[in-house]
Amino acid sequence: MATTQIDNSTFPNFVLLTGSANEPLAIKIAKLLKSPLNNPVSVFADGEIRIKIAPNLRRRHVFIIQPTCAPVNDHIVELLLMIDAAKRASSSEVIVVMPYFGYSRQDRKEMPRVPISSAVIASMIAHAGADRILTLDIHSEQEEGFIQQPWDNVYASYALTPAIKKKKLENLIVVSPDKGGVPRATFYQRLLGVGEMAIVYKERDLSANNQSEAMAMVGDVKNKNVLLIDDMIDAGGTIVHAANYLKEKGAKRIFAAATHGLFSGDALEKISKSALEKVIVTDSVLHRKEVVRNPKIEIVSVAPLLAEAIKRIETGDSISSLILR
Amino acid sequence: MLIFSGSSNKSLTQKIAKHLDIKVSPAEIFVFPDGEKRIRIQEKVLDKDCIIIQSASIPPDENYMELFIMIDALKRSGAKTIKTVIPYLGYQRQDHIFRDGEAVSLEVIAEILVKVGMTELFSFDLHSPKIPEVFSVPVKHLSALPLFAEKIKKDFNLDEIVLVSPDMGGIRRIKQVSEMLGNVPFATVEKNRDLANGAITDAGLTGDVRGKTAVIVDDMISTGITMVEAANLLIENGATKVFVFATHAVLAKYADKILQKSRIERVVVSDTIEVPLYSLFPKLEILSIAKIAADALK
Repeated sequence: MATTQIDNSTFPNFVLLTGSANEPLAIKIAKLLKSPLNNPVSVFADGEIRIKIAPNLRRRHVFIIQPTCAPVNDHIVELLLMIDAAKRASSSEVIVVMPYFGYSRQDRKEMPRVPISSAVIASMIAHAGADRILTLDIHSEQEEGFIQQPWDNVYASYALTPAIKKKKLENLIVVSPDKGGVPRATFYQRLLGVGEMAIVYKERDLSANNQSEAMAMVGDVKNKNVLLIDDMIDAGGTIVHAANYLKEKGAKRIFAAATHGLFSGDALEKISKSALEKVIVTDSVLHRKEVVRNPKIEIVSVAPLLAEAIKRIETGDSISSLILR
Repeated sequence: MLIFSGSSNKSLTQKIAKHLDIKVSPAEIFVFPDGEKRIRIQEKVLDKDCIIIQSASIPPDENYMELFIMIDALKRSGAKTIKTVIPYLGYQRQDHIFRDGEAVSLEVIAEILVKVGMTELFSFDLHSPKIPEVFSVPVKHLSALPLFAEKIKKDFNLDEIVLVSPDMGGIRRIKQVSEMLGNVPFATVEKNRDLANGAITDAGLTGDVRGKTAVIVDDMISTGITMVEAANLLIENGATKVFVFATHAVLAKYADKILQKSRIERVVVSDTIEVPLYSLFPKLEILSIAKIAADALK
C-alpha cells in the first residue's frame, strides 16, 4: 500500500467524523489518510446524546467511523443522530464506516415471534440518510440485502494473515469452531497455504443464552499446531470449548484468530484458563484495558485496511481488488 | 387486546393492565453483556391488537432500542395494530435545529418508530404542542395536569396559592391548570440565558407571590436545578412556601439530593417514569397516570 493519503487539495470534499465508540481507531485512520478528524458527540445530564458538527459539510462527502460495540444501543443511536445531522447540514453523501456491526447476529428468525434486529438496525441507518455502508467481516454477508444502499464488506484477513504468518507455525491445521464458520476457515486455509482443515461441531442450546458446547469433530489434529478461526469472540465459550476439546484430541499448540474481540462477561478468565496459547484479534472494537494487557491477547490494527477502503470509496477506485480472495 | 411491557416501567404497565382488566402478556427481554438485547414474544399475536408500554427515560437509547425491536417482533409476527405508549418521550426537547450542525433527534426517533410498525402513539405532557406533527401516525397527547389540579384542590386553600411557571415556555401549561382551578392567579419566572454557555445571567418574576403559597407546575424535572433556582427566587420575593408539581421525574444526576435539600416543601410527580428505589426521597410523592392511559386505550 503506497499512498493511502487523501490529498485535501485533490479531494476538497472529503470530511472524516468519528463517534465515541472507537476514537483510537478513528485517529489511526485519520493519521494514515492525513485528514482532520472531528467528534461531534456530547451527552446531556439525562443521558440523551447531542450532536453538533463543527466543520462545513455543504456538498461534502462525510465518512462517519462508528463501530457499534458496547454499549451497543448508545453507539447505534449516536450513529443515527450523526447521520441525521450530516444530512441536514447539506452533505452530498454520507458514508457509514462500521467495522463492527452490533446486533448482526440477530439476522434471522430462529424461532417464532422474535425480531430481526439486524434488519431493524440496517434499515434505521439507511432511513436516517446513509448513502453507503462499509463493514468489516459482517456476521453474514446476506445482511447487505437488508437495505437498498451500496454496502461494501471488507475482510480482516488483510490484517490477520500477516500477523499469523509472522508466527512461522509449522505443521499447522486450520480449524473452524462451528459448522457456520467453515467457509471462513477454508478461506484462511488458502490464504495461509495450509494443507489441512478440521471442523469442531457444537450444538447450541437455544433456550440458554450464549452457552455453547464442543461436541464432535471432523478431521485430525493429533500432534499438530492448531489455528482456530472465527468472526467474533464474545463471551468466549465457543472458542474456549473448541480449544480445550482439541487439546484432548492431541493438538500441540493452539492459536485463535478472530476479527472482533468483544471479550464480554468472563471471557478473559475463560481464555486465561484455557488451552489457547494466543488469541489474535483486531481493533475493530474499542478494547478495555484488561483486554489490551492480557498476555494471551494480541491486537492487530485494521486501520490501514479501512483507510485504504475509505480512500478508494472517495477516489472511485475498486474495493473488490482490495479484498484478498 | 394484548398488552406488553418494555423493561423501563413495568409497574405502570401492571397498573394500566389492571384498569383494562387484562393480564400483561409474556415477553422475554434478555440483555447480552455488551448491551445487545434479545426479545422473544411469548404469546401468539397474529391478527391481534397489541399495546406496548415503554418509557424513554434514563437510559434513553437502551429503552428506545428495546422498544424498536419489540415493535419489530410484533409486526413480523402479524400483529394487527401496535399501539405504543411512551409516557415520557425521550429526545423530545431536540425537536428542531438550535445551532448549525445539530441533528433533529426527535424526528429520527419518530421515523424509526413508524417504520418498524407503531400504528398509534400515546404520550404524556409533551414539551411542545407541535411534537405530534413530527409523527405520521395518530398521536394521543395525554396529560397529568388534571390529576395535579385535583390534588391541588384537595391539599390547598385555593385563595392562598399562586401557580408558578418556572420559565416563559410553560405559560400555556400554567394557564390550563389555572383554568381547571377556577382561574387561580399565576406568576412566571423569567430567565435570560447566555446563548453560548447556557448559564442564567439574570432572573425575574412577573406576577405577585408575596404572602402566598407558590405551586410550581412544569412538564419535567431533569437535574432539578431549575426548580431549586425558581424556589429560591420565589422565597426571595415573599412566597411563604413552595411546592412543585411535574409530570416527568427524569431526576438526572443528583436531582434527588438537590431537591431534598432545597427549600421546596414537597415534590409531586407522576409515574410516567419509574423512579428507581435509590432515587426516592422523603419529599417526593408519586401519583399514577395509569387510569388516564387506560381510558385512552379503551
